[in-house]
Amino acid sequence: MNVTLRVWKQPAPNQPGRFESYPAKDIPAEASFLEMLDIVNNQLESEGKEPIAFDSDCREGICGTCGIVIDGRPHGPGKAITTCQLYMRAFNEGDTITLEPWRAKAFPVLKDLVVDRAAFDRVIQAGGYISINTGNACDANALPVAKLDSDRAMDAAACIGCGACVAACKNASAMLFVSAKVSHLALLPQGQPERRTRVVAMIEQMDKEGFGNCTNESECEAECPKEISVANIARLNREFLLAKLLT
Amino acid sequence: MTPSSILKKTVMALTGLALVGFLIAHLSGNFLLFKGDKAFNAYAEFLEHQGGLLIAAEVGLLAVFLLHIYSAIRVTLENKAARPVPYETKQSGGTSTFGSRTMMISGAIILLFVILHVKMFKFTDHEHVDGELWGLVMQAFANPVIALAYMAAMVVLGLHLSHGFSSAFQTLGLTKPGWAKCYKKAGLVVGWLIAFGFFTMPLYGLVVKPKPGAKEHAPAKTIKHDENDDDASVFRPVLTEKGTVSWS
Repeated sequence: MNVTLRVWKQPAPNQPGRFESYPAKDIPAEASFLEMLDIVNNQLESEGKEPIAFDSDCREGICGTCGIVIDGRPHGPGKAITTCQLYMRAFNEGDTITLEPWRAKAFPVLKDLVVDRAAFDRVIQAGGYISINTGNACDANALPVAKLDSDRAMDAAACIGCGACVAACKNASAMLFVSAKVSHLALLPQGQPERRTRVVAMIEQMDKEGFGNCTNESECEAECPKEISVANIARLNREFLLAKLLT
Repeated sequence: MTPSSILKKTVMALTGLALVGFLIAHLSGNFLLFKGDKAFNAYAEFLEHQGGLLIAAEVGLLAVFLLHIYSAIRVTLENKAARPVPYETKQSGGTSTFGSRTMMISGAIILLFVILHVKMFKFTDHEHVDGELWGLVMQAFANPVIALAYMAAMVVLGLHLSHGFSSAFQTLGLTKPGWAKCYKKAGLVVGWLIAFGFFTMPLYGLVVKPKPGAKEHAPAKTIKHDENDDDASVFRPVLTEKGTVSWS
């Protein structure tokens, strides 16, 4: 199939960018979106032109590295997929497809479609961990966890930190990401010792990074490749307010 | 130290819920408009006679209102700053609503409405109007421009509450997994019901154009009245011989 790409091209951070058009010719419908970009880049390189810069790693939807706003949707059309799980059969012959990077003050563009998501790492460093005196690994079954808590913690832990929630939010808020990380640890016994300090530290860091405020419109949930629920944001709000009141 | 994002949203949620509480009280009092001039004016007089209590309530209400507006402006400015370069082709994932996307605009219209509304009915002399405050209100609503403007403002209020009411519970963390659809629908219903309640009043004034004294309501037959009571449409507590209070 043949499509036309309109791609955001920006040579470096803090430099002006603009949209450029690229033809993508003879693309198999079964190619993934990133494979299509590989084909286009091979062609560009063979012509001695600068390829389109984009992020990817595992290409099976679990690492959270890829992420492009495709025709106005983070990770493109389709539900609960990452960009690498999007296939060209989702498009029609002759389509013009617009590719933009995640847009957020906290995620500066490094080059073309590649953004710097280190802000997420700094939020995790602020409190998204548990402190354990190491020794032998415990027996996995030694610490009982209620089934419902374990299910909800697992659902929250499914977050791959891709940043689609920030990209989708009209306020570029990181609340869904932070709520997933806080919920995951707050629901499990191992997360209890740092439960109160964790949520306060992570929210402080989140604010410092320049993310926006949540206005409860659930656009993040709609675009999340792992379908993280905004019920986690309610839990985050609760955890934060209780931590502030009780400590 | 700047307050955290969640704290700012908490202020917005708490003040918003307080304002919804006020709206419900205001609405229930205003339903006396339908009962006629005597009942409504007696209610207005009752409020005016609260003196310091009324002033305290009004100052509190104003503070809550201003705090709500202040946090809304602050949160909105921060949200705009969080995405300095806009998307060219951003599409909604389908979960936001017209009401949720226009909270700032609907809020600004409501602010304008409240200023005009207070000037019109609170700071206008009604002593010499036929039917006093009730007459002032009904005269205003007989004017189609005013009545339609009021009804339009109430649609905007409904839009604002349709997102705001349920949103407050999410911000305060007073929801749980599985409630998401349920509390959003409940917020939608409550928000639009409040707005509809207020909407009926200018509609009544415009369509029925009631005259003062024209609609005397006979009190329910089971209630005994003090013969000296010249205002039979107002319930008053009476101490019975047994020492209990009955409403007559």
